[in-house]
Amino acid sequence: METAELKENLKKQIIQFLNLSVTPAEIKDDEPLFGEGLGLDSIDSIELIVLLGREYGITIQDPKEGRKILVDINTMVAYIEQHRTK
Amino acid sequence: MSRIFVTGMGVISALGNSVSENREALKAGKCGITPMELIDSRFAGKLPCGEIKLSTPELARSLNAAQPGLTRTALLALHAFNQAVASAGLSPETLSYPSTVFINGTTVGGMCLTDELYHDAEAKENGSEYLAAYDYASIALYLQQKFSLSGLVNTVNTACSSSANAIMLGARLLQSGRAKRAIVGGVDCLAKFTINGFNALHILSSDICQPFDEARKGLNLGEGAAFLVLEKEEDSIDKEKLAELTGFFNTNDAYHPSSLSENGEGPFLAMQEALASANLRPADIDFINAHGTATENNDAVESKAMLRLFDSPPKFASTKSNIGHTLGAAGAIEAVFSILNLQHQELYPSLNCENGIESTGLMPVVEYTQQPLRHIMSNSFGFGGNCSSLIFSKV
Amino acid sequence: MLFIHQYACISAQDSFPEVNLDAVIAPVDGKLFAREPAYDGIPKGTLRRMSKPVRMAIGAASVLLKTSGRLDGIIGATANAGMDDCFRFLQQIIQYEEGLLTPGNFVQSTPNAMPAQVSMMTQNHGYNMTHVHLGLAFENALIDASMLVDEHPGSKYLLGTVDDISAYNYNINRLGGWYKALNSHGDFYNAGTTGSIPGEGAAMFIVSSEKSGSIAGITAAETLHTEDAALVVDRLQTFLSLHLPNEVPDLLLSGENGDQQLLPFYEGCEQLLPPGTGVLRYKHLTGEFPTANALGLWFGCYILQHQRFPAHMVKVEPGVEKLRHILIYNNFKGLQHSFILLSGS
Repeated sequence: METAELKENLKKQIIQFLNLSVTPAEIKDDEPLFGEGLGLDSIDSIELIVLLGREYGITIQDPKEGRKILVDINTMVAYIEQHRTK
Repeated sequence: MSRIFVTGMGVISALGNSVSENREALKAGKCGITPMELIDSRFAGKLPCGEIKLSTPELARSLNAAQPGLTRTALLALHAFNQAVASAGLSPETLSYPSTVFINGTTVGGMCLTDELYHDAEAKENGSEYLAAYDYASIALYLQQKFSLSGLVNTVNTACSSSANAIMLGARLLQSGRAKRAIVGGVDCLAKFTINGFNALHILSSDICQPFDEARKGLNLGEGAAFLVLEKEEDSIDKEKLAELTGFFNTNDAYHPSSLSENGEGPFLAMQEALASANLRPADIDFINAHGTATENNDAVESKAMLRLFDSPPKFASTKSNIGHTLGAAGAIEAVFSILNLQHQELYPSLNCENGIESTGLMPVVEYTQQPLRHIMSNSFGFGGNCSSLIFSKV
Repeated sequence: MLFIHQYACISAQDSFPEVNLDAVIAPVDGKLFAREPAYDGIPKGTLRRMSKPVRMAIGAASVLLKTSGRLDGIIGATANAGMDDCFRFLQQIIQYEEGLLTPGNFVQSTPNAMPAQVSMMTQNHGYNMTHVHLGLAFENALIDASMLVDEHPGSKYLLGTVDDISAYNYNINRLGGWYKALNSHGDFYNAGTTGSIPGEGAAMFIVSSEKSGSIAGITAAETLHTEDAALVVDRLQTFLSLHLPNEVPDLLLSGENGDQQLLPFYEGCEQLLPPGTGVLRYKHLTGEFPTANALGLWFGCYILQHQRFPAHMVKVEPGVEKLRHILIYNNFKGLQHSFILLSGS
């Protein structure tokens, strides 16, 4: 899958998973997911780890590890491309 | 305002089926947390839980409770209720007076029947025998009917502070003149629902929990029930009094649905205002039965709140290291444990804490000790920021 | 005494934000779903985490919070808010075989979410309680509030209730025989059949110990568990002689819900009251649910404030012009009963 397509899919999945009221185009690739940017919190970070597991077969045991991956769309996509099992 | 006394209590937990069994186990530093056996779950045989090793049919038999549709929660509640009422010497007639009120705190209610509930809610077949049992109120309604209670009956659910709030509410009903005696406490049992919920939040430890240890990895769930009988001074002149309920306060942390604020405003206010309601100074507190769930968040925040309130925090311990986190029942079970501390002038060891939290420098009590104790604080904090503290005093 | 200063409700009728009770909005598929507003007042980031009942409760509360000033606490009541999330989480447990689950539904399934959410939104560190005692959750919350204002003169609280129709509670109550068949016809109250129509809604009140500026006051509230209609009447008689000794209620606001089995309770109470006492009903507007009686209190406030009521609510026309005292009697599933005495300020 092309990186651009993966980004688009991931944004759609995040919106659906977290029930966000934004469009994929409104999520910038380098916008922080937590804090200032999308304003996600600790429960969202766990939800996103589940998303990575269900959609891409990626297992992250430690939520703290997850925080390094769940920085923005770019970091998530880079990690997915390297570690996806489906 | 009238003084409120505890004139009876009953408890069942992973440490034992009676007040005296629980005390002996606490004294011995026994841990009731073992691999869960009784729930059909992929965690069975592995996950450490404060499980009561009596199957639901065994419990029902021991209680002579044969009617269909009874849940494990209802049976645990009945067990503790019977004991509390017997220890306070309340007759069946007294129970049925409009001046006898009953308040139960629970978070799981009848949802312990995860699979049955799922099938009934899907309505794929005819209803099961449990249709009326899933509700939070089902336990209080069962006891209301069994004992013909005709006074006020209530169920509260403020997550893990539920039964602390039930105790508080009972005391206020007495003080307002709406009741002469209040049976108050709570119950929860292990359920697939809560096990998976806490697991999904990554705050369930796969090892035995270590409250207030730097290396703590999360909580263990437990199950149990406890009820207290509360009466006013003027209504309990000739009765044996186990302890006095001298202070209580309920507040909200107003921060996050499932974690406490860094500064511990809710826990701080609950403790501070409970002291004020008891007309006590921080230095008067001899011991704190901490909420101490062994999650990273709770223990750090609770410690910080103690350091804010007390010049030098009193001795403290978490009995969740003995029985796990019994959720809605925790406040009531820990009230019983606090009253045991006062009655016997003894402190029980908090288990599995080797190295205190570095940033706080605080260590719980790790050995059985006998010492004079006058006032004990018991903390209960829950999801949704619900924070409550109770103060029990020696009679 | 507990005084009501502001009130709002989201119901199956046109009750929010403006009230128009003249046209009755009928059930759809045998259910009286609430007419939810657009919730402009709730931040989007907060709204996405809210289940329907929490959203309805916060929506109804937010209009009151704009003008209520600082509150000393929040007292909530619900029987089944959070059950929908609870059921979704159960579905996850089964579908993913206790594997990788998202915690959102679990966190939102706690019924204390509504009072907790209001605390968070308004940074309120005051009293915070959630009563969940099924058909008496609301009345227990009301008694809690009454005690609080007595304990703390001058204090002010948000008292609120919510329940929703979820797949969970609809199916379980339907299997339990508490709803009329979907194809049942006829008048809501006179169909001669058992069961009622499911409903949902949120009712919010700003209450305090201060009479000045209030709309109505609650002189007394009492609850009772019994299946014996004679005992209910007996307790009502005692209740009235204690709390309204030298007068009679002008109006009975009855929780009659179209269920033939429960009629003897309501008729027993009606017969206790002297001729000339009006009888009004509201469940054809709200449907039946455990905290429906909070909407009963909302109707009571509306009637006392405006001194009028739509004709479709009347069972017995009141004999007096000026309505001062309203007795609200409700029972849930023939077991949980309450009497509330409401008087105009």
